[in-house]
Amino acid sequence: MHTISFREDILPLKDKLFRLALRITFDRAEAEDIVQDTLIRVWNKRDEWQQMDSIEAYCLTIARNLAIDRSQKMESQNLELTPETQEMPDAKMPDQLMEQNEQLSIIHRLINELPEKQRSILQLRDIEGKNYKEIAVILGLTEEQVKVNLFRARQRIRLKYNEINDYGL
Amino acid sequence: MDYKYIEQLLEKYWNCEASLEEEQILRCFFRQEEVPAHLSRYRSLFAYQDAGKMLKLSDDFDERLLAEIERSVVKAKRLTLQMRLMPLFKAAVIMGFLFTIGGVVKHSMNTGKSEVVYVYDQFERERQDPQVAYKPDSVNASVKDTPQKNVNKQ
Repeated sequence: MHTISFREDILPLKDKLFRLALRITFDRAEAEDIVQDTLIRVWNKRDEWQQMDSIEAYCLTIARNLAIDRSQKMESQNLELTPETQEMPDAKMPDQLMEQNEQLSIIHRLINELPEKQRSILQLRDIEGKNYKEIAVILGLTEEQVKVNLFRARQRIRLKYNEINDYGL
Repeated sequence: MDYKYIEQLLEKYWNCEASLEEEQILRCFFRQEEVPAHLSRYRSLFAYQDAGKMLKLSDDFDERLLAEIERSVVKAKRLTLQMRLMPLFKAAVIMGFLFTIGGVVKHSMNTGKSEVVYVYDQFERERQDPQVAYKPDSVNASVKDTPQKNVNKQ
């Protein structure tokens, strides 16, 4: 049986954890802290690693829960959770690329306006490529619930995105 | 070229019925330079997903994390040592306190004795005069003045 190593098996998950934490908190510094805290907590549970079905799911669950806690704390402190704005395109950039950047900004904003559950599921599916079963474990939902939330998220993005492109809203 | 397959996949994507492989096919398709006009608006959506995967932590993250883990291990070791020695420290402090108090009390008692010595000097002078023996002390005087008790009182 493969012995789980922190350096080989767990540390490489850091970027995935970071992206999820960032998607929830919208704050780079906060997301980095969350990843550090997550990995330290996982390290402290090293006696239990071998019994876990999926150490990746375990790490993502902790990261998500920490991120939700922190973003709630930030909200109660009346800190506005504004999604990170995409960098403004360079004036010298070719038109096509500038347009692409603008489109990416729109999508970024639309995703970040979704409720947390939909946002997290979209992140785990479309960007991290997780299947419904894995996402269900991470979020503590049924596969059906994951599919329903993903459906709502994608439909909303499609609707809003088309509105903007058709009517310039 | 027939884009029917791509359009079908796109429809499956919106309905969340596409598999991970099919979603990957869509992403690959939209990475191309040439995309038909009626599908071009979705190019950015899949490009965003590609770009999203490239977001990473800073390079020194590993270093900082491992340093933090090592620090917490050392801190835990130090805490255990402290935990073991703390009762001894507390005992030493208490004993020190008691000794200090005892010393103060003893010192004040010693200071009291010198006054007693002073009184003793007075007795010495008194003893030279035999008349002192006939002088009533306060105890004898009060016995004479006490009225007789009624022993039959119940």
